[in-house]
Amino acid sequence: MFATEENRPIALLDSRAAKNVTRAHTPYTNESLAKAIREGVNVSGKPMSPLMPHYALSDDEIKAVTAYLQQLSAEVSPGVGKDTLRFATIVTPGVDSKKSEVMVNMMRTAFTQRNASQESYSGRMRSPLDLIPKTLRNWELTVWELQDAPKTWGKQLTEKYQSEPVFAVVSGISNTTWAPVHSFCEQEKLPCLFPSVALPPAETGYYQLYYSRGVALEAEVLAKSLRNQDKTAPRRLVQIYKDDEVSRGAAKALTDALQGSEIKLENRVLGEKAATDLKAALKDISSKDAVMLWLRPNDLTAVNKAAPKQVPAVAYLSGFLAAEDYSFVSKAWKPNVRVIYPYELGIKRQKNEITMKDWLKTWRLPLVDEAFQSEVFFNVMFLTELSSQMLDNLFRDHMIERAEDMLSLGSNVSAYPYLSLSRGQRFASKGAFIARFAADGKLIADSEWLVP
Amino acid sequence: MSYFNQTLDLTGRWLALSTIIFIAAFFGVRPVLAEEPMAVEQKAEEPAFTRVTSSYKVPDVAMLRQDGKKVSFLKELDDGRPVILTFVFVSCSAICPMLTHIMSKVQTKLDKDNQKAHLMSVSIDPESDTPAKLLEYAKKHGAGPDWDFYTGTREASLALQKAFNTYRGDKMNHTSVILMRSKPGQPWLRVEGFLSPDAVIEEYGTLSRK
Repeated sequence: MFATEENRPIALLDSRAAKNVTRAHTPYTNESLAKAIREGVNVSGKPMSPLMPHYALSDDEIKAVTAYLQQLSAEVSPGVGKDTLRFATIVTPGVDSKKSEVMVNMMRTAFTQRNASQESYSGRMRSPLDLIPKTLRNWELTVWELQDAPKTWGKQLTEKYQSEPVFAVVSGISNTTWAPVHSFCEQEKLPCLFPSVALPPAETGYYQLYYSRGVALEAEVLAKSLRNQDKTAPRRLVQIYKDDEVSRGAAKALTDALQGSEIKLENRVLGEKAATDLKAALKDISSKDAVMLWLRPNDLTAVNKAAPKQVPAVAYLSGFLAAEDYSFVSKAWKPNVRVIYPYELGIKRQKNEITMKDWLKTWRLPLVDEAFQSEVFFNVMFLTELSSQMLDNLFRDHMIERAEDMLSLGSNVSAYPYLSLSRGQRFASKGAFIARFAADGKLIADSEWLVP
Repeated sequence: MSYFNQTLDLTGRWLALSTIIFIAAFFGVRPVLAEEPMAVEQKAEEPAFTRVTSSYKVPDVAMLRQDGKKVSFLKELDDGRPVILTFVFVSCSAICPMLTHIMSKVQTKLDKDNQKAHLMSVSIDPESDTPAKLLEYAKKHGAGPDWDFYTGTREASLALQKAFNTYRGDKMNHTSVILMRSKPGQPWLRVEGFLSPDAVIEEYGTLSRK
């Protein structure tokens, strides 16, 4: 079927056979490496496989290749045991226990399924995960539950990591900040794959991958939409938010994004008594004003009580923060509510998520929060694909490079329309819709997919 | 390139090898697949690229130019000048640096010969490649007034890639294609493969003399 060389096939069908190329040999020196690249002669002086091209590189170019290769991992990364590969997921304090529980249960189920599929050759497929080529190590999951104030998280993570090193962090959940986790992982060169967080740190790292820029992205999408509206845009926009890191970040991002526009932006911060404060914040809103409610369901429920008789021209909601709970929206408000919606809508969304929903049913796992669970599900599916490509090359920098290349190649089982990375890109989804409620109460697009 | 990619898939994409291919592509070096010296000479005689003449039905999509202006792609294409067209993206480290390097060499050569052509580079990673990023990329590669970069919605970029038969399922499977045309209404010359700036300039020369 394939061309052969000394009875060896040149192209290899069995991806496992790739291990053959990583076998031990005398280390290359700068000189022997240059010879291999230019002449296709290996370190022991033998000609390499014909698959190895010859490149007529200059001395400077050889130096550049060598410098690149030298900064790559030389040793297998921590978290890799003889028969095991250990991952962690992170739960921060204050998150809804239903969500953290379902996240951990989904991951444990997927890991168990994946490990079992390595042993069983029954030929019976139990889930899409079974289809993916096997690698030898058993996957182990450890859950890092953080306590207390964010400033102590770094120390807790260091202790947990030292007692139980992991190869990568997969998923994770926070309602508040994620910055201490981001800093810790970046410092340890620990890949942290797509945690479910509302506001990732603005400064990107190398090893930290996110689904999106969260509420900061939403703020910029709103600004873009308002700028597109030009003269029909409301003259005054009042943004109402709580005094926490995520909401402050969202409000600041909107302030920055509206710099230089004609829209007058006012900030109103809610204190501990959200209901009372909300009433005060909404008091002077007229039908000519727009409001941006950077609020979660708990606070949104207070909007009805506090709502003035006069409905604002537009009430914008954050799709990330509202978490699909629009029960507070009254009949009077409904036509004027717009949701900055970072996920796919309608039939395409259903198509993306059908695999997860079937999988949850099969394993009797509850559907608590669709978009959030689809993030977790996509993550374990993607991890399986990644590992089937990485085989035994268990280096963290390699993992990130593979993730950059592979993210848009697999099937998209997430709530997002399109996920993609590339060299240096750290946020996979890059836009949002402005959505409104249709007559049947379902969200439909009120704008094209806006990418700021 | 696609041959290597396929092989790399099968061998688990051995990191060092892919790195070398990336570096080689970056410097525009033409790799020679050969074991014995004889084979090298035989290979060297064959052109490393294919050339075909084709007509394409191009949809009239709205695109954003690097200067932030929303334009009709069809109008940009049919403004009367000869066109040299590539599909690239800013963060690409495989074949795009080579394509952009060729475009820059072609631009220098055309300037030197006092010839006018419209160089057009369309982003295949449009959600990331904003006009501002394209402008920065253009400056980095010394793009002059006759070399424009285009981005837009993902659908618009996909429509153009499909129209010119350069869509390969994903930006990471992107192949080396340069399209050129002497004037509106004329067919396109499509060169595909391991191209050198000189070869592209030569092909462009045959086109203009027609």
